[in-house]
Amino acid sequence: MQSLTTPLLLIFALAVIGYFLAKSRALKVAGGDVRALVSLPNQHALNTALSTAVPPAAAVLLFALYARLSEGEPNWLFSLVILGLGVTGCALSLIGIKTETRARTYAERWILGLLIFASSIAIMTTVGIVFSMLFETFNFFGQYDWRDFFFSLTWSPNFRGDSDLGIIPLLWGTLYVSFIALLFAVPIGLFAAIYLSEYAGPRLRSVAKPAIEVLAGIPTIVYGLFALITVGPLLRDYFAEPMGFGQSASSVMTAGLVMGIMLIPFVSSLSDDIINAVPQAMRDGSLGLGATPSETIRQVVIPAALPGIVGAVLLAASRAIGETMIVVLGAGAAARLSLNPFEAMTTVTVKIVSQLTGDTDFASPETLVAFALGLTLFVITLGLNVFALYIVRKYREQYE
Amino acid sequence: MEDLTHVDRAMSTAQDIKISAKGVQVHYGDNHAIKDVNVEIDDKTVTAFIGPSGCGKSTFLRCINRMNDTIDVARVTGDIRIDGEDIYDPKVDPVQLRAKVGMVFQKPNPFPKSIYDNVAYGPKIHGLARNKADLDEIVEKSLRKAALWNEAKDRLASPGTGLSGGQQQRLCIARAIATAPEVLLMDEPCSALDPIATAQVEELIDELRQSFSVVIVTHSMQQAARVSQKTAFFHLGNLVEYDDTDKIFTNPQDPRTESYISGRIG
Amino acid sequence: MKTSLLASDARTKKRNAAEARFKAYGLSAIVVAMLALAILLTSVLTNGLSSFQQTFISLPIELAEERVDKQGNRDPAEMARTTTIGYAPLLRAAIVAEVERQGLTTELSDKDLGDMISKEAAATVRNRVLANPDLVGETITFDLLAAGRIDGYFKGRVTLETAALDGNTSPEALMVAQALADAGVIETKFNWNFFTAPDASVQRPEAAGLGVAILGSLYMMLVVLFLALPIGVASSIYLEEFAPKNRITDIIEVNISNLAAVPSIVYGILGLAIFINFMEFNQSSPLVGGLVLTLMTLPTIIISTRAALKSVPPSIRDAALGVGASKMQSVFHHVLPLAAPGILTGTIIGLAQALGETAPLLLIGMVAFVREYPAAYTPEAGLFGEASTALPVQVYNWTQRSDPAFVERASGAIITLLVFLLIMNAVAIYLRRRFERRW
Repeated sequence: MQSLTTPLLLIFALAVIGYFLAKSRALKVAGGDVRALVSLPNQHALNTALSTAVPPAAAVLLFALYARLSEGEPNWLFSLVILGLGVTGCALSLIGIKTETRARTYAERWILGLLIFASSIAIMTTVGIVFSMLFETFNFFGQYDWRDFFFSLTWSPNFRGDSDLGIIPLLWGTLYVSFIALLFAVPIGLFAAIYLSEYAGPRLRSVAKPAIEVLAGIPTIVYGLFALITVGPLLRDYFAEPMGFGQSASSVMTAGLVMGIMLIPFVSSLSDDIINAVPQAMRDGSLGLGATPSETIRQVVIPAALPGIVGAVLLAASRAIGETMIVVLGAGAAARLSLNPFEAMTTVTVKIVSQLTGDTDFASPETLVAFALGLTLFVITLGLNVFALYIVRKYREQYE
Repeated sequence: MEDLTHVDRAMSTAQDIKISAKGVQVHYGDNHAIKDVNVEIDDKTVTAFIGPSGCGKSTFLRCINRMNDTIDVARVTGDIRIDGEDIYDPKVDPVQLRAKVGMVFQKPNPFPKSIYDNVAYGPKIHGLARNKADLDEIVEKSLRKAALWNEAKDRLASPGTGLSGGQQQRLCIARAIATAPEVLLMDEPCSALDPIATAQVEELIDELRQSFSVVIVTHSMQQAARVSQKTAFFHLGNLVEYDDTDKIFTNPQDPRTESYISGRIG
Repeated sequence: MKTSLLASDARTKKRNAAEARFKAYGLSAIVVAMLALAILLTSVLTNGLSSFQQTFISLPIELAEERVDKQGNRDPAEMARTTTIGYAPLLRAAIVAEVERQGLTTELSDKDLGDMISKEAAATVRNRVLANPDLVGETITFDLLAAGRIDGYFKGRVTLETAALDGNTSPEALMVAQALADAGVIETKFNWNFFTAPDASVQRPEAAGLGVAILGSLYMMLVVLFLALPIGVASSIYLEEFAPKNRITDIIEVNISNLAAVPSIVYGILGLAIFINFMEFNQSSPLVGGLVLTLMTLPTIIISTRAALKSVPPSIRDAALGVGASKMQSVFHHVLPLAAPGILTGTIIGLAQALGETAPLLLIGMVAFVREYPAAYTPEAGLFGEASTALPVQVYNWTQRSDPAFVERASGAIITLLVFLLIMNAVAIYLRRRFERRW
């Protein structure tokens, strides 16, 4: 990688030089009269600079990839090829400068190519995500039976080997925490959105809306700390211990409650959009018949907005399932299949963090399991998102 | 048509006054939308409000069932009475008022529910039916009155949004009359409809006169002439002229009315 | 059956009661949400504000030559052989002398008195001496960090009761500390070190600071800004202005909206597998962190940039095309400048999101304990290649330590983080207000 830096810098310098050379050459070709040129000198300059820099840069990326795949260091041959490409590009475009050259079209072709490359990064990211996890997940299933992973009821990694790595207790914890979070966030978020869009005066709206948006801007680590130092001890001292539910500050309830707070703005802003998409004519129709505002909301607006709201809840669920910091700090680390919400349980994300941050052999199933967990998480959340976005989109189209 | 209106007018003069408005002013924020309107609307009559766009005719219509309450910046002053009762009295519940004064809107706005549920919505919230059979009867009667029964009776469970534009508007009329109102306000009910559907709705309006006092806002002078017995001409928030329909159209008193009718303003 | 409008019937009363209840639910939902925000902020502030204050003991220390410069040649290289352990007796002697000078009698041993000074203080003194060997032999007054428990006492975290049960301090030590404070020797002052010092070991919460974390976060933000902004804008321009409407563009669009909803931890796994295991970039480096956060922020930036481009009316494009500009020129000369405020706002919000992100950074090794300030560039490690940590990860790190003094530190770090976010969002809001354009 390092050995490619020098040729790359040289190419960059060449591109800059080419830019000015092309500019002066274009002027010379035109005999000092810019009007004689089909394309402006600047366009020639840009074309030369791009012709010089883009092919070598692409080559560097390819070489780097090749070098990694073949486990070798890029050698002097690579550098030579890169320099050759740059010099050729520069020379060809300089020679090509004539009065009738359509340099603008060429330059714009290069730019369009770069734009397309930039758009493809999103695709490459997805491919990267899928392959990085798929590859290690296969490694994992080579060492550990997939049936045990998906159906075993115990999770007890043992770094001397012979671990039980069943995902079910983790999924249970994940779903339990998410369920409590949604139980808290959906009614509050929905009612807040309804109140703000249908009832609140401008004064309350100008205070409450930003306040709820602030909740959305707070990083999850802050919520995690809040769960750890405030909500957890509070729930333990005032609910769990007096009522005999347990002595743990980290619990499904702690994480669920705090995650619920985090999701309130998410649910309310999505619901707000969706409720506002219901045409005013629909409300007028109901109010004009003598329905009260709440009857209008419950019997006309909400049923009309229902698909959108369901979509919003699914998106919130996917958020909850993938959330990490709150559960790392609030839910606990013990994998447990229990119904008691005041007990510490653990989630898929917590275990991904703990399996990948420990000092363990990277090839052991105890580490590799994190990739299988990650892939499972990715598939679940992706499924929820695709489904939810589909519903929401269908819903929007209905009123457009 | 000409003859018919003459006869109707003779009938209507015998009616009581249903709605009376005195000194009504409406402000939308800084905009003075309605300026001192005085009008008396008869029972069992079709009254048309005409005038150029933005003249305040729809705004005034929305004052009669207090739909302007739903707009934050609207402020209504003056006195509007239905059967002698001030509808802006603090003791009046707009919900009860709107049950009495139904409204049909410019664009058909059926709820995303079945045809049956659209019509049954009003009776349900106002508790007009004691049981299912009662409700069925109300729905059927309303749909018949709205001349939609024959087209809709076999598809009562299908969504109201699946009907054609004209059918949707008649559904909205059926929905409005299902709550047994005494006054029916119609805000340009035909502006979104094609000529055939318009003719059907106009015919319907004429029949509704038997049971209600109908107030209709319309852009089309021909429509006003066809369906109404009384016509009010609004211009820039003022009620310029209010008289029998044929008088307005044949012998307007105010030059502004004359210009509008002859197409010089509008 | 005529009913009067002036009297509401029983049914209307019931319906109005239902209406009032419904409104009450709505209002209470808002109250709960705002209360949650208030409690959260209060909790962080009450726990964390004290970390901006620190207790210092002001002591004259005799830098005896036989202790700190055994060779007597003032050569820093030679003097460096004396470790911090060699300095500890000087500090101990100084505090014992100070206690005597104040006329305090105490049952504490000299060692217990010495323990009132932070273990970090010896290093502070040593560094000062090594930096300036001329100090040897003189008596210099130093502001030394007090030990964590003493600091806690002045902040109300440690009381005489808890001290009685604590192996690391004693009620007597606190009483001596109180007496010294009354005499003006112990002082609680604004704690600049909190923002500049690196992290400290588990036993020295009083010395722990955010210096490395802030630097690491800054480096990562630079990486994100310089990668995510151009890439995001370029791909938005392509998708919004040039892309033909076909299957592939559809796939890219669906893909971007899904990427925006992928759990952040998955990006961490991606970073670990691709950037560290496959590309063999340095673990814990701001470069890898920045790359991961770039990929995470990209969808946010693309979505807001596309919205900004979309809000520029087509008439502007038509006008440019109409005078013979190429499509590319109409976009770069006209549409892009008009969309710039929207793009900038979206970018700042994306950066703010990236700044607070924790989970993916845990997986790429940024949890490591780093005491060295990372350099932006070194020939060995490359650009942003030196191990570092980040603000939110530092918070997580501190929450994993048992000493309650670290809770204060973690909350203080959160306040710092929130202040940064507040500034970024305020700038974004200002930009939006200042340059907002209605077409």
